[in-house]
Amino acid sequence: MSETPGTVLHVANLGISYRVGKQWIRAVREFQIEVKAGQIYGVVGESGSGKSTAATGIMRYLAANGRTEPGSVIELLGQDLAARSARAMQDVWGRCMNMVPQDPAAALNPSIRVGEQVAEIVRRHEKVDRDTARARVVAMLRRVRLADPETIFDRFPHQLSGGMQQRVVIAMALITSPQLLILDEPTTALDVTTEAVILDLVRDLIAAEGAGAVYVTHNLGVVAQLCERVVVMYAGEIMEDAAAADLFARPLHPYTVGLLKSVPRLGQTKREMALQTIPGRPPSLTELPEGCVYAPRCPLAIEICQTKPPLETPAAGRLVRCHRWQEIAAGAVEVAYEDGGGAIASAGLEARSPLLHAAEMTKHFAVSRSLIEVLQGVTPTPVRAVDDVSLHIQKGRTYGLVGESGSGKTTLARMIIGLENPTDGSIDLLGVDLAPTVRTRGREMLAKLQMVFQNPQNSLNPYLTVGQAIRRPLMTLRGMARAEADHEVERLLTAVNLRPEYAARYPGELSGGEKQRVAIARAFASDPALIICDEPVSALDVSVQAAVLNLLARLQEEHDTAYLFIAHDLAVVGYLADYIAVMYLGEIFEVGYGSDLFAPPYHPYTEALVSAIPVADPTHQSERIRLSEDVPSPRNLPTGCRFHTRCPRKIGAICEDEAPPWRDDGDGHYIRCHIPLPELTALQKSLLPDHERDA
Amino acid sequence: MLFFLLLALFGPALAPYTENNQSSPPREAPSTAYPFGTDYLGRDVFSRVILGARSIFLTAGVGTLIAVVIGTFVGLFIGYQGGLLDEVVGRFIDAFLALPALLVALVILGIIKNVDFAPGSWQAAVADQSVLIVIALVYVPIVARVVRSSTLDIKTREFVQAAQIRGEARLYIIFREIFPSVVPALVVEASLRFSYAIFLVASLGFLGVGASPPTPDWGLMVSENRGGLYQLAPWALNFPALAIAVLVIGVNLMSDGVKRVFQKSG
Repeated sequence: MSETPGTVLHVANLGISYRVGKQWIRAVREFQIEVKAGQIYGVVGESGSGKSTAATGIMRYLAANGRTEPGSVIELLGQDLAARSARAMQDVWGRCMNMVPQDPAAALNPSIRVGEQVAEIVRRHEKVDRDTARARVVAMLRRVRLADPETIFDRFPHQLSGGMQQRVVIAMALITSPQLLILDEPTTALDVTTEAVILDLVRDLIAAEGAGAVYVTHNLGVVAQLCERVVVMYAGEIMEDAAAADLFARPLHPYTVGLLKSVPRLGQTKREMALQTIPGRPPSLTELPEGCVYAPRCPLAIEICQTKPPLETPAAGRLVRCHRWQEIAAGAVEVAYEDGGGAIASAGLEARSPLLHAAEMTKHFAVSRSLIEVLQGVTPTPVRAVDDVSLHIQKGRTYGLVGESGSGKTTLARMIIGLENPTDGSIDLLGVDLAPTVRTRGREMLAKLQMVFQNPQNSLNPYLTVGQAIRRPLMTLRGMARAEADHEVERLLTAVNLRPEYAARYPGELSGGEKQRVAIARAFASDPALIICDEPVSALDVSVQAAVLNLLARLQEEHDTAYLFIAHDLAVVGYLADYIAVMYLGEIFEVGYGSDLFAPPYHPYTEALVSAIPVADPTHQSERIRLSEDVPSPRNLPTGCRFHTRCPRKIGAICEDEAPPWRDDGDGHYIRCHIPLPELTALQKSLLPDHERDA
Repeated sequence: MLFFLLLALFGPALAPYTENNQSSPPREAPSTAYPFGTDYLGRDVFSRVILGARSIFLTAGVGTLIAVVIGTFVGLFIGYQGGLLDEVVGRFIDAFLALPALLVALVILGIIKNVDFAPGSWQAAVADQSVLIVIALVYVPIVARVVRSSTLDIKTREFVQAAQIRGEARLYIIFREIFPSVVPALVVEASLRFSYAIFLVASLGFLGVGASPPTPDWGLMVSENRGGLYQLAPWALNFPALAIAVLVIGVNLMSDGVKRVFQKSG
């Protein structure tokens, strides 16, 4: 690798269009980027911003209906790629530039051993024999920190976890020592602890290889922690381009400011401040606004914004596309977004009367037996999804539940709502013992419990109008007459900030955020005492997520409804929840009020979760606590403390043999660990960024 | 396709002769008086082709419709219910699908045709429509399987769960929440089944187990005029055969079109 950092990739005036029907839709316009060796360049934007299209365009790997517009310049090490034929690109792909896609499972052929798949690339590009190729691959697998690479070589993709698959894909992309690596949301599908490990890996490998990298993501935290430079995209155009440190410290574009302010930071709560939200939604690419594409949503839009702003250079190494950047830079104007009605000041921490008490909830899923097992009379060990979990939810409060995938949080929620029949346990709602499933629960009880689901695409029936969807629970659960229900539908729609006309629309005409608002209105229709929110914002873009979180907080205050709020994102849970439980492998390991949970003593698992979160602040370097990815199978759980196999603070045999005791830290904060709390406190540092700690 | 539908509706008004009018000379070559010529009994082939359109549409169409209705019910219920019911009915359907449709139809028809029913009794009335019933019977499992698999997919969607936690009745969930999403797949399947049904009706007619002479059935016409005297009057066979081919192709093209429309909107 060369010592002087030269330019690896030079892209200018890149335009990409897709043919849809008879129209050419210009998905990316005037894109430019300059990546140097050893540099990780972040490309951020929300869905539909054109960030992935730009990345695939650089690869010259567009779908059949896409084209790179004439005049586009794509130069890799001075070689012009824009004019190359697809055939000529084959020598470039794999050898000079490679891509790591979002879904590693889709990138790997399920029927070929993973090592073979990597070796194939070596043989194709370097014409070496089998043994040499194998040795090269094993060495590469070791470099991506896969333990026991010889064994991994002969595994099939389905035998590896998501994180391990992504490592194999990264190994595949790096084995030919390409000069450019394009990573398209490579950690979005992974758990936060795995994401942290992969990010470390990418950072170290890029530094060691001296390759340039383009990292496409929607997550500002990832950009802050990983990238040297960032370009912010919106509706197919560059809004701002700067060194990461400058961008986060002094954003010049109103959109960048909006993005930064709409993400809840760890430790920030609804009691302190409402999240700022960007109004409206991104424009459709077929009907872009005349002037500045961001003007319709921009709080600073003035008359001049009806004309297209040029891409200007406010300082060396910075670009911005805004008419008013000088005023923003000078501090003459403040970029102030709506904050959805202000902080929820009334939300105190004092105890309220109990609402729901779920005791010793357990769910074991039987594994279907194979014929041989039936003949042998063997019953396979069941999957122990949730084991002996109890929780108390208070009236009008939010109970947060966090954990990685497979922790059993969704199964627990489904048992409470009655969609899953518990193996064991009882639920008490306002002093009444609840029947186990929805079929056996009375109307009155059904009305008291409602749910908001994760995926807005699926939570509304596409063949029923919004009005019909909300009217149904009003009529069945509250016994309203049609006219009265119609009136109530209007009120509910208004309450979730949608115009009453939406009642006549079908879900297909709504954006993701609007659908989720309708789903929330439907959940509130029966005037429930408790709403279970299962990852309600994880499928939404950040600007929309903030608005939905504000809405949930405000509706809770108005209706005094309790939430059981499930999410994998600690910052989101911390923002909304009053009381939080951390789950791992079907058990709760720590409970406490939000403010206590984010300061030592932590449970070692919580500590790892907190430290894995990429903080949207490049100056903040958290102490890294990384967990191995070998999550034990819920069919074969570890003895003693279930976390001991991954615990960085394991103290010895006691962790393997005995279930840890609950330790009381006072104020409702309990930790289930063998290490005494004063010792934990002494071991751990606060992981919150400095300015959060002072607040 | 539309052309054949019009023929079926207005056939009797268009046909120059009645189907069994034998007043014309036999084996007359096509001419202005007899556009498709006449067959060995002196019947006008043109009129018989036109009049035959109605029976084939009726038998295949109604048969398919019955199969679709019953198949949809069965598919929705076993798909939504799952468990043991699905296992039992599902395996039964799989077993049935292993048998070729034509063979099953032949066996059933063979049995029905060999039983003598008192004329005028309801059994006889049923036996008269035996081809229609056989079509329905043969296609029920196929339709049920398609509906079942789409139901299995849709019942895991969150809007179905939202209905469950409202305590909705099973019938409401099946018909109001799930059924509309099954419709696109169902329409595509129905139009495909219809084209197969037409071919099956014609085949059964040809094999002599469908309509009995002197009904103007296209399959039967092909069979009747196939004998050693084919060379003398090729038109009597060629035109009904052409009609079958054109109709089957037409229906297939239509079902392709239907599929494309639904794939676009879905």
